[in-house]
Amino acid sequence: MAGITLEGILQDVWRALDNPVLQEGLRRAYVGAERRVPEILDEYPEIVELARRVEDVKRLVSGNLDHYIEQAMESLKKVNAEPHLAETAEDAREIIGRIVGKGKVVVMSKSMVAAEIGLRPHLEKLGNEVWETDLGELLIQLEGSKPMHTIAPAIHLTREEAAKLVSEKLGVELSGRSIEEIVVAVRRYLRGRFMQADVGISGANALAADTGALVLVENEGNIRLVTGLPPIHIAVVGVDKIVPTLRDAINVALVQAAYASLYPPTYLNVIAGPSSTADIEKKRVYGAHGPPKLHVVLVDNGRRWASNNPALAEQLRCIRCGRCQMECPVWRLTANHWGGPVYGGPMGVNWTAITLGEETGAELAHLCLGCARCDEVCPVGIPISRVIRYLKKRYAEIHRL
Amino acid sequence: MVDVKLILSLLADNVERTGYPVPIDPRRIYSWAEPLKLPRGGRTVLYTGALYQLVPYINSLVRHLESLERRKGGGLALRLAKTVGRIVDLGKIVAKADPSEVSTVEKVLTSIANLLSAAGVEYGYLYENDLYSGVLLYDMGLDEAFRRHAGKVAEALKRSGASLVITVDPHTTHVLRKVFPEYVERFEFEVKSYLEVLAEKGRRLPVKTPSEPGYDVVLHDPCFYARHEGVIEQPRRLLALAGLNVKDPAKSGRMTYCCGGPVEAISPSLSKRIAETRLDELRAVGGRIVTMCPICYANLRRAGGEVEDIALHLSRRLLGA
Repeated sequence: MAGITLEGILQDVWRALDNPVLQEGLRRAYVGAERRVPEILDEYPEIVELARRVEDVKRLVSGNLDHYIEQAMESLKKVNAEPHLAETAEDAREIIGRIVGKGKVVVMSKSMVAAEIGLRPHLEKLGNEVWETDLGELLIQLEGSKPMHTIAPAIHLTREEAAKLVSEKLGVELSGRSIEEIVVAVRRYLRGRFMQADVGISGANALAADTGALVLVENEGNIRLVTGLPPIHIAVVGVDKIVPTLRDAINVALVQAAYASLYPPTYLNVIAGPSSTADIEKKRVYGAHGPPKLHVVLVDNGRRWASNNPALAEQLRCIRCGRCQMECPVWRLTANHWGGPVYGGPMGVNWTAITLGEETGAELAHLCLGCARCDEVCPVGIPISRVIRYLKKRYAEIHRL
Repeated sequence: MVDVKLILSLLADNVERTGYPVPIDPRRIYSWAEPLKLPRGGRTVLYTGALYQLVPYINSLVRHLESLERRKGGGLALRLAKTVGRIVDLGKIVAKADPSEVSTVEKVLTSIANLLSAAGVEYGYLYENDLYSGVLLYDMGLDEAFRRHAGKVAEALKRSGASLVITVDPHTTHVLRKVFPEYVERFEFEVKSYLEVLAEKGRRLPVKTPSEPGYDVVLHDPCFYARHEGVIEQPRRLLALAGLNVKDPAKSGRMTYCCGGPVEAISPSLSKRIAETRLDELRAVGGRIVTMCPICYANLRRAGGEVEDIALHLSRRLLGA
């Protein structure tokens, strides 16, 4: 994407530094997370072991991405899901736009890949009514801003601001005094949208190549509704999310939840194909209580290219727990104002390079301290700051410095 | 986009032409050692890599950048280019280095040299061969400029006849120990930080009974010692040997927290805010804040911190000077 320059980022950074509400919201979040994650790992030491296994299988996949994409697509067909492979963000938008059509009600659960490909604005432009159903993501939608953390998108909003947004945009009366009141109002409002929805769109924490099973972890319960109620479920999945087996996929979800300081996760969803029943005469009929149709849109958008680059390939192991963000001295003051238009913080710089190109990533890289605290906390051993230094090097090469 | 490119080319240009990232009289790098009459070269040499000596000059540049940072009209480096333009003018700005800062860093280096001598380490100094390590070029991704510069540094070290190189700061230690071997062919020196060398001597250190009672010190681990070079326990051992009570902040050792220094030239205000965050945490422990890195020292000071280098504490307590 043209136009992302260090100068522009610095303007955003200054605004972030001058915003006391953002600073207080961030402080509350990281103080909690930096205490909770070590507590969780202490109480459930097997998570650390699982993280090592996830690291190993993710290494295996990023080294043989084409093979695993092919295997995953075959497995998806076997369970009667419809796989699609989108090479670019534009391809992905088009594929999903064709499936959805126009004049539909679409409910979405939070997905960074959906944000990466600009899915919501695209579906709205086609004439659909689109609702984010993750509370934080809905607030972002109502605010017209961008997610500020990988799993806590509205980390920058206080209860007062959230209440104001919800009452203004959804037309509900709120006193603004309690968070509970906001949650109840949003649930009531969205319940109607869930019932009307023609299409549910989700991401995925992992996709198992052996079975075609998607695994999604959550606490709100919105993913169950998004993927269960509407007649069509579309899962948008970065090809980096493929792991060899269903067991690996579940490990990814557990590790992600723990390092995101949300353990045990409230819900773990496994979806292998559309809903079906064979209860009458043993004849399989698709579409029982869940959706009869499941599309899985695998998104490449730079990932296969990155898998052939020794530095960027490391980032493909990322499970999006956001711990590197919470522990980064720069991110703690800027949130996702630094890192790129969608992804933020240390991992964000590298994901921006993968999805928007090295030149954009390199522009962002120069705000990294190189302090390597992110490397220290990454559950899957990504040398995040070393990848960022590689981008600094690329910057010098690209501009012949 | 013009921004960072200008900063980087200024940096690369300065190192290429003068050997240093900011203009400095090369004599200022080694003049501190002259009164000590340290021998030249030898199998074991003290190599400062000039980082301590450069800090007062970098500081005055950062103070200048800070005054420009949020002014309107062009990017930071563009404004920098307008105000400083050429290297000669950049020289004028950094010539305003605070003399008290210069004298502090020279005292730190003198203390390190005295501590090594007192511990019975036989070593020589490099004097005019004590070249800048080029670490900033590496950190900024200017790999080709770094490779060229590292070659010169390696030559100078080879000329000295050394096999063991003693370093004084975490950045130089790291770049020499881990990065040089990747960029310079047959770079086969053993590299040790003076803190590692002193800690090995342990009980053989001449502990003078300190005249004043011990006090609490709060140790700020520099990222590169703690996360890359495994220098965590050694400074603690030395401070304890000096009769001081070492207290750790919540984030210490491998989980230490950056002082913000590395982004001081890109965004002085962000850098300062990170330093303030770290200072709050160090102050909360209660005790005299001790640094082991000139960048940490400078950046925490810039944010208003009362911090002092570990070498000064050790020298006062162990050598009575």
